[in-house]
Amino acid sequence: MHFAYSALQAILNGILTGSLYALIGMGMALIFGVMRIVNFAHGAFLMLGMYVTYALFLRPGLNPYIAFLVAGLFLFIFGYLVYMGLLRPIRGHTDFMDILMTMGLSLILIDGVQLIFGADYHQINIPLLSKNIHFGPQISLNAPWLVSFVIALVCALLLYYVVMHTMFGRAARAIAQNRYSAPLVGINVNRVQGIAFGIGAAAAGMAGGLLLPVFYLYPEVGNQFKLKSFVMVVLGGMGSIQGAAVAGIVLGVVESLTSLYWGNEWALAVDFVIFILVLSFRPNGLFGSQRV
Amino acid sequence: MSGAAKKKWEAITIVAFFVAALLVPVVVRADYTLQVLFRVFLFAALGLAWNLVGGYTGQLSLGHAAYFGVGAYGLALFSKLGAPNIVAVLLSMVVAILFATLIGAVSFRLRGPYFALSTIAFAEVLRLVAKNLPNVTGGDVGIQVPLLFTHASIISFYLSAVLLTAAVLGITVWIVRSRLGYYLMAIREDEDTAMSVGVNATKYKLIALLLSSAFTALGGALYASLFLYIVPDQVLSMDISSEVAIVAMLGGAGTLIGPLVGSLILESSAEVFKNIFQEAHLLIYGVLIMLVVLFLPKGIVGTLMQKLRFFKSPPQAPFAAKPPGELNNEPERAAIGE
Repeated sequence: MHFAYSALQAILNGILTGSLYALIGMGMALIFGVMRIVNFAHGAFLMLGMYVTYALFLRPGLNPYIAFLVAGLFLFIFGYLVYMGLLRPIRGHTDFMDILMTMGLSLILIDGVQLIFGADYHQINIPLLSKNIHFGPQISLNAPWLVSFVIALVCALLLYYVVMHTMFGRAARAIAQNRYSAPLVGINVNRVQGIAFGIGAAAAGMAGGLLLPVFYLYPEVGNQFKLKSFVMVVLGGMGSIQGAAVAGIVLGVVESLTSLYWGNEWALAVDFVIFILVLSFRPNGLFGSQRV
Repeated sequence: MSGAAKKKWEAITIVAFFVAALLVPVVVRADYTLQVLFRVFLFAALGLAWNLVGGYTGQLSLGHAAYFGVGAYGLALFSKLGAPNIVAVLLSMVVAILFATLIGAVSFRLRGPYFALSTIAFAEVLRLVAKNLPNVTGGDVGIQVPLLFTHASIISFYLSAVLLTAAVLGITVWIVRSRLGYYLMAIREDEDTAMSVGVNATKYKLIALLLSSAFTALGGALYASLFLYIVPDQVLSMDISSEVAIVAMLGGAGTLIGPLVGSLILESSAEVFKNIFQEAHLLIYGVLIMLVVLFLPKGIVGTLMQKLRFFKSPPQAPFAAKPPGELNNEPERAAIGE
């Protein structure tokens, strides 16, 4: 009986973590789907979102659960400008250059933040942190994780709605299906790609803000999430945002169970093993090959 | 100047460059300078080795830390088992080739970004395994690496790095002018077409990777031996993978001397930045990468070659645009003004 409870607890924790992964992965998938860019700055965007939320928490003392919205907005604008200023000029060159550009950007952001905030680890303290919500005698969930989960879920659903049911989303999906015929039906490819890049960055930034109450903060915090978002995008089928969302939850649960039975240090390794297996046997992703 | 005469001059220039490089320790005595130069030539050799796969074959590997780390850990582990240094290095090169075969067998079935991501995944799995098996690799605590040379002087390391660079460059020239080189470049330009005219793409991609991995492992062993002590986050990290790729891509992927030029510029400027800008050096390094990408889109050598038509060697366009990219660029441009 105890065995079943600890497994259930691990699965529930995994779903909570997974919802944040899902948000990060959806942002990455949107960018990949619409632009075919593997965004190596995605982790840096998340880190930036965390630091924006942190800065707002320090100075005006804004609650991180409100400040994350500012982080999202900031990253949307930042992402849009990055696309227009840095990525649009090199479209049509090789894929290699996109990767180099986002790698360079990532270095700049990480080092820039380190110059401003220092390389130390930070953690914020909000009253909610020590609260646990109990479900029965055996199961308890940490309150800030639960709040982050609910907000991440809302954001993910909103993102899904935007991509599936708005004019922008339709244009984005059209570009993902065929980048070259989309302009023929009157889609302004550059503007849509710029907005998509902004939204992708905003998703990472908001996830960062939501992670702040429950995670350590340091300039290189984004790297692990960057790697995970690669895994999610491949797992979900390159460019499928629903797929990436499901993959995020799966990743969270798998990691949580791995930590429980094998130890924390193997969790990331298991991610990559799954990743390699999926790439080898189902290169279109676990969840079909639907694009964006 | 006729083609043959030009080729002769190119050969003379390159040989003269390496002779000069070998003579540097006669003039330069400072350990620090030689250490920086060691790094320059080590990454030149690694970039050249990467170039065989990433440049000439067009397969963007972002996981070369796997082979680098296998070289480093191979030297440490085999010599711990009692193998003489030279045997340990050779064995670790063999192990790197075995890993490359395994990784290639899976990854080469994938293309474009999928391939790049899968190479990252393999390197990361190796790093995490090395971290999590303390009984074998020492885990995060690290492991001792024997000194490869009888006297612990940076000069031996520097000279070996120069010779390694020369060797990889020599092999690259040989490959590029051989049938194999043309197969590789055909695969880079259009894999499907290459296959349709009977080029066994998987086989030749694998050959390129095996050669590349062996030299990368040798470089890894050399690097580890200089530090005498290694940890997984150092020799198996993504930083190594991306640094090798960045050196080659910025210099000019698919050009003969691109990685050498890339390493000379990047590694030496990184060192200068470290001294001048201190904590901001990575920021400046990032800006440098961006500027090159924006203004020299085919890498330093690639773009200069295109502009000057100087130092012309057979492999010209560094994985130039696949035909659809070129053709279809227009409609996108047209949309800007709307």
